[in-house]
Amino acid sequence: MAPPPRRWRAPGLLMVALMIGACAGPETLRLRAESVPVELAAVPFHPQDEYHCGPAALATVLAADGVDVSPEALVPEIYVPARQGSLQAEIIAAVRRRARVPFVLAPHIDAALAELHAGRPVLVLQNLGTRGLPVWHYAVVVGFDPRQQRFVLRSGRERRLEMSARRFLQSWDRAGRWMLVVARPDAPPVSAEVQSWLRAVAAFESLGELKIAITAYRAATRRWPAVPMTWTALGNGLAQRGLWASAARAYERALTSGGDTPWLRNNHAWVLAQMGCRADALAEIDAALTAAVEPAQRDTLRDTRARIETLQPDAVCDR
Amino acid sequence: MDGCRGVLAVVVAVALGMATIAAPASAAIVGTEQMLSPSAARNQVEAFIARADVQQKLQDWGIDPADAQRRVAALTESELQGLAARIDELPAGAGALEVIGVVFLVLLILELVGVINVFTAI
Repeated sequence: MAPPPRRWRAPGLLMVALMIGACAGPETLRLRAESVPVELAAVPFHPQDEYHCGPAALATVLAADGVDVSPEALVPEIYVPARQGSLQAEIIAAVRRRARVPFVLAPHIDAALAELHAGRPVLVLQNLGTRGLPVWHYAVVVGFDPRQQRFVLRSGRERRLEMSARRFLQSWDRAGRWMLVVARPDAPPVSAEVQSWLRAVAAFESLGELKIAITAYRAATRRWPAVPMTWTALGNGLAQRGLWASAARAYERALTSGGDTPWLRNNHAWVLAQMGCRADALAEIDAALTAAVEPAQRDTLRDTRARIETLQPDAVCDR
Repeated sequence: MDGCRGVLAVVVAVALGMATIAAPASAAIVGTEQMLSPSAARNQVEAFIARADVQQKLQDWGIDPADAQRRVAALTESELQGLAARIDELPAGAGALEVIGVVFLVLLILELVGVINVFTAI
């Protein structure tokens, strides 16, 4: 083939330079600094049929965490026929249904490496097309070979697909760097930050799965005992199950570790009121009202105060 | 009109479903989700409509009504609002198999217009 006309070369070279420049970013450099290979060879494989890469990938990460489910069983939960694929939100919900915490990793390759080294496979969303013409695909990262700079994936019909770090990072970046791991409620993933773990668990609480939420919040208090929000969240879970005394203890721990917020005082006040400690409860809700400025928040606090006032005034306080 | 009726039907179905869920025992407790995202002040009506919208969308996309109802029930309010806002644009991971087709097509076009020359045997 004849070389392209000279005037085309400069922009062509510039484009190539830009593409390389875009790839040798912090993530690529991070991978080049990696020296220890990792491959979770024991992670099972579910070959996908047709468009079922979502169910296949999800069944793979669930199996790795001890949940035995076939891709076929997941199809009615997460497959959307007209889109010939699966939505991220539904994958998250399907993990929750199996009493596991769906944890979305921070959007850095570091997080994936940390999870792999801790023995946890990572479900990723890839865009194998371009930004304008996306081809979405779910796969499971099970290894990384630093010498070859290659990722190992369970993908489609390939049990062991090797993909160059460059191509993998591109496909992952184009899909919004979405990575998910599956965790037992009592074991937050190694790369988890306290806020992200609490957020992931709070969904169980909102959906009324309180036992799972409590277990996972308790795990958070063990891992991040100095963070008051872990104790507050534990208190919230316990309070919603009506376990007043333990909830009060958790809230008090949050308060003594510097977690004083109007919402915390609101919940603590309600728990105290349920324990028959009406005077303490009113003092607590008034402290919350003094600190609160936002109108919507003040409305809620006043509502709680009114509810406390309607409770029996002569109950025995068993604090 | 039909679409409207569909949404209405789903709203009613969701309302009936919700009516059977008992109100939380500790209504005065502010949940962790709300504490963590103060900006997402829960608008009950919006959340309710989002649930109906997403359920309707799933049905339009070929999922049977009972499954669609179960599926939206497993999503939180914030997840539903995120979905309802832009469900059509969100990625739906499909299969790597179709990529082969796309790549083949691109190669074929490039070949035909003479940019590349990989199909020498053809």
